[in-house]
Amino acid sequence: MWAFEPLDATHAWEWSLPNIDPIDDYFRRNESIQPAPRADRRTLIRRVTYDLLGLPPTPDEIDAFLTDPADDRTAFGTLVDRLLASPHYGEQWGRHWLDVARYADSAGFANDYERGNAWRYRDYVVRAFNNDKPYDQFIVEQIAGDERNAEDPESLIAVGFLRLGPWELTGMEVPRIARQRFLDDVTDSVGQVFLGQMLQCARCHDHKFDPIATRDYYSLQAAFATTQFADRPAPFLPHENQIGFAERRFLEQRRAWYESLLDELNERSIVAARAWFAERQLDSTPFEKLAADGLAYTTIRNRLRGQGISEEDLPPRHAGFAPEHFGLERVARKGLERLSFRLERYEPFALSVYSGASIARGSIAAPIRLPDDRLQGTIDATHVLIGGDPFSPGDEVEPGVIAVVAARAAAPFHLADETPPRLELPREVDGRRLALAHWIASPENPLTARVMVNRVWLWHFGRPLAANPNNFGATGGRPSHPELLDQLALRFIDDGWSIKQLHRRILLSETYMRSSRIAEPSPAEPMSEESYAAFRPRRLEAEELRDAMLAASGELNRVIGGPPTCPEINNEVAYQPRMVMGTFAEAWQPSSTRALRHRRSIYGLKLRGLLDPWQEVFNAPSPDLSCERRESSTVTPQAFALFNNRQVSQRSLALAMRLEALELDQGETISQAFLLTLGRPPTEAEVAAFMEHWRAMTNRHQTLDFQADVLPTSIPREALEENTGEPFHYEEPLEVAAEFEARCLVRGCHATHARLSRSLPRAIQQQ
Amino acid sequence: MQVWDRDVRAVPTSQTKVASWVSSRRVPARAKQCIFLTMEGGPSHIDTFDPKPKLDELHLQEFQRGGEQRSAMESGKRYYVRSPFRFRRAGACGADIAENWTHLSEQVDRICFYRGCQVDSVNHPTAMYQLNTGNRFGGDPAVGAWTLYGLGSLNENVPAFVVIPDASLPQGGASNWGNGFLPPKFQGTTLRSSGSPILDLEPRSEITSEHQQANLELLRSFNERHASTRANHDELQARIDAYQLAFRMQAEVPQLLDLNQETQTTRTAYGIDQEPTDRFGRKCLLARRMIEQGVRFVQLYAGTWDSHDYIERAHGHLVRSVDRPIAALLSDLADRGLLDTTLVVWCGEFGRSPDNGVRGGTAYGRDHNPRAMTIWLAGGGSAAGTTVGATDETGAEAVECVHHVRDLHVTLLRLMGLDDRKLTFFHGGRHKQLSQFGGEVIPELLG
Repeated sequence: MWAFEPLDATHAWEWSLPNIDPIDDYFRRNESIQPAPRADRRTLIRRVTYDLLGLPPTPDEIDAFLTDPADDRTAFGTLVDRLLASPHYGEQWGRHWLDVARYADSAGFANDYERGNAWRYRDYVVRAFNNDKPYDQFIVEQIAGDERNAEDPESLIAVGFLRLGPWELTGMEVPRIARQRFLDDVTDSVGQVFLGQMLQCARCHDHKFDPIATRDYYSLQAAFATTQFADRPAPFLPHENQIGFAERRFLEQRRAWYESLLDELNERSIVAARAWFAERQLDSTPFEKLAADGLAYTTIRNRLRGQGISEEDLPPRHAGFAPEHFGLERVARKGLERLSFRLERYEPFALSVYSGASIARGSIAAPIRLPDDRLQGTIDATHVLIGGDPFSPGDEVEPGVIAVVAARAAAPFHLADETPPRLELPREVDGRRLALAHWIASPENPLTARVMVNRVWLWHFGRPLAANPNNFGATGGRPSHPELLDQLALRFIDDGWSIKQLHRRILLSETYMRSSRIAEPSPAEPMSEESYAAFRPRRLEAEELRDAMLAASGELNRVIGGPPTCPEINNEVAYQPRMVMGTFAEAWQPSSTRALRHRRSIYGLKLRGLLDPWQEVFNAPSPDLSCERRESSTVTPQAFALFNNRQVSQRSLALAMRLEALELDQGETISQAFLLTLGRPPTEAEVAAFMEHWRAMTNRHQTLDFQADVLPTSIPREALEENTGEPFHYEEPLEVAAEFEARCLVRGCHATHARLSRSLPRAIQQQ
Repeated sequence: MQVWDRDVRAVPTSQTKVASWVSSRRVPARAKQCIFLTMEGGPSHIDTFDPKPKLDELHLQEFQRGGEQRSAMESGKRYYVRSPFRFRRAGACGADIAENWTHLSEQVDRICFYRGCQVDSVNHPTAMYQLNTGNRFGGDPAVGAWTLYGLGSLNENVPAFVVIPDASLPQGGASNWGNGFLPPKFQGTTLRSSGSPILDLEPRSEITSEHQQANLELLRSFNERHASTRANHDELQARIDAYQLAFRMQAEVPQLLDLNQETQTTRTAYGIDQEPTDRFGRKCLLARRMIEQGVRFVQLYAGTWDSHDYIERAHGHLVRSVDRPIAALLSDLADRGLLDTTLVVWCGEFGRSPDNGVRGGTAYGRDHNPRAMTIWLAGGGSAAGTTVGATDETGAEAVECVHHVRDLHVTLLRLMGLDDRKLTFFHGGRHKQLSQFGGEVIPELLG
């Protein structure tokens, strides 16, 4: 099992870029095919800017790089340093990490409650990459931040990693199964993300060729047996962005609407109850007394029952309700529940955990707070579960690490600075995870550095050195280049687990700088899948594609961090009714201001139950599982998404207006369009073709009358009532629409307006 | 037909190899297409196709529970409740069916009722995920995605796996028809009964076909110029093709959905323009049109059957709204000679319990029951005119020919000519399959 063997430090490569390039030497030694030449500077700046920032280089940046008098390698080194220092670097590389961490802003399953404060974890990740937080520290904070330093908000936020999987506990399910679901998710996620081990295979029984035993799985799981959920107080940090907090007012409006619905329904029941008493000529004095105190109908009823009045002498539970009122009551009551989660966005709490006893809960319908006494409840023991079934406990196990990994290590593991080396983790309530985290983040652990180096390589080259970044176990693909992987891993540890240093070592090698085209392609010896003789171009990922369009159109808001915002998504999906437990989820409402809508895609609200279809079609992964590697496939709906989608069409109109505003002649305008979108000037043939197309389209545009989009301020909902199976109707208000800012794409340029009104259809200016 | 692309790493790329790859996974079968009628919310077997006269006897007696309490639905005092519906025996096969299925009772000789199926989860989204993907926790490919992966598409100009949700998306959302770890081309495409049937299918209203053609033409000329300097760039060619296909789909899909092309007799037979059958009738008729056009897998949702209270009213209404459309679909498919090659499946995510916490009156309903349910199959080589398996005397638990839903999945694939053991995709360190860890065919369901 190659991944469990210690890293061999006896033949460490010498690294001293730019003079010594061990990666390139390695490939020259191992590949017979003549490598492609170095790519030209225009290609290089585009490649590396998308790679490190997820954004296109601006025409000025391209110019500066092209005219840098230094030699190619020096100039490229300067460029890489500039990009690594950009705050957008953390957004791009943090986004890769969020794929692996199964990040979303909601909890999934039946309720899909929002995780209002998950954004603070997302921003923590962005900051960690920007600050080049040593990877070993990054690991410890995410597995045991609370145990490491419970006073540090950053650490409490980081450990939210453990809770990122889909999870809920409803009254309809079995608490023990829900708890086990968390334990399985967290065990497997920690295994995959940090150790590259698909532990779930060991959940049910031992496998012949898998060195990880079922016992190991449950020993590791025992490290989390005292891990409990809480949204813990964590004051906002100075570097946490509170942009968008003003949007809270829309949620308050929504709350007022739900409350008014409940008031009306309550009034209806009280009126019906009075009629009920009158009809039966029963004494309603006790009822009226309580009603005069302004109590809710249900409360009054419960009080009267408490006073000993029998059920038969009381008006029915939902007095005066027609079928639609049952539905409305659920919409309002459940809506308020849902709001309590959504409003967490603006509260100084962190999605976090603590170590303590398990508290018996039937369901969870509001954010969880810290208990007064962490030890009140049951300290759960961990058992091997026969067949993975929480109702079939086998032997009890103690918290421990994966035996096979520890056994093969070159040196004994030191779990924490003071503890002697050992395989067991502490048995106390506290400290299990911290010890586990130190074991994972140890230079002696052969898996940890290898796994991260492999991920970084994958994200640079579009293919990993070991085929399955989440699976370094018996069933994962073997590394194509084991020596390179190990040398990089050794170097990574020696560089103090610095990811930015790792980037430099990879990016400044000739291997990364190669052209994508081999000078003499030989049909006899085509480039193999594993060859690095030429650079393989990659497609932009969903978020990069959207961000690049916003960058080209000049609309991108480059502000870093903050609570999730809602970009515009396909309207039909935004307004599509979506069933959640007992009711319907609120409609997707795009943020009110353009500035918020046009933030980078990483800041878009990511709901498990409502993924942006545009992102899905470009292979953004489902957040339900850790995603080791994105697909890149070509499907027809991508053509629809690029050609007919309203947001894409708005980006192109904005780009057109940006170009118009420059007041260049036609040829220069086309050149500028090429520079903004493709990062290169057009060829003569291209200019000619575009001139012709422009002329034809201008004629056509004169016959067009574009309609400005008007957002509805409410949406009719038709739903099936659970009690009756019959449809009922209501009108959901869309609060944000009233303040939706959609007037003008170009600001404050009267001359341009005058020109535009001649050459562009009217309504474009109104959007 | 280009079914496979480079992204399917497990699949060979050359056409001849693909043919042998596909045939190695196929077994002889009659069904080529499938219509999956998903009764979201858990329809009650006890009140539809599995009569329990014993409950008349036990009505309102206190419910006796054995074993450990596992959910809130089992708490408090509970009572056996009888079915508010009367039953009859229908057809030459004498199948049991509640009397309010007036139209479907004429089709029972085409149906195989199966009473032995069990699932793991007592909760809607997890049970729905299990029914649709085999995996309770979501994230895996849907049955339709697996089917496409195994069989490819029959008509490139229409989507091959189509889902028509009810008024709202079911709990768990679009993951119920996701491609999971399979490439996105196997994802279910949702069609809407109103608005644009496929997202972004139509350009903005101001853009005409002529306008779009001009833009596409320019794009194509640049793509081809780019391609001409880069030999063997399949992905680029696939992208060029995608635009052409998109343009054709824009024309064909609206045609497919135009129910005005059907005769008034057909529309009436499906219950269109009548209440309460209009909504589901339209879906069933669309399903037949899609089968004719070569859509491989159609999934229709109807719900919610989650009748915890007032089951007589709630189930009564739902049966009225789907009975006529489903019966029309079966007889229409048969008349057109399509039923033989089209497998029709009717099922919910679980059955319902013989007991309820509500005593007396008409307020009672039934709670969730993963231990017993009735599903039925028609056409596509299923065992027409049979009733397979049985539940205990109260309908609490399947007791004869009992199979986990994974075996139902294996059987569905078998009917479609696919072998679950061979229809695998390497992901997350192992060769994954619809049944998760393997299952067996339920031979009684095969004709």
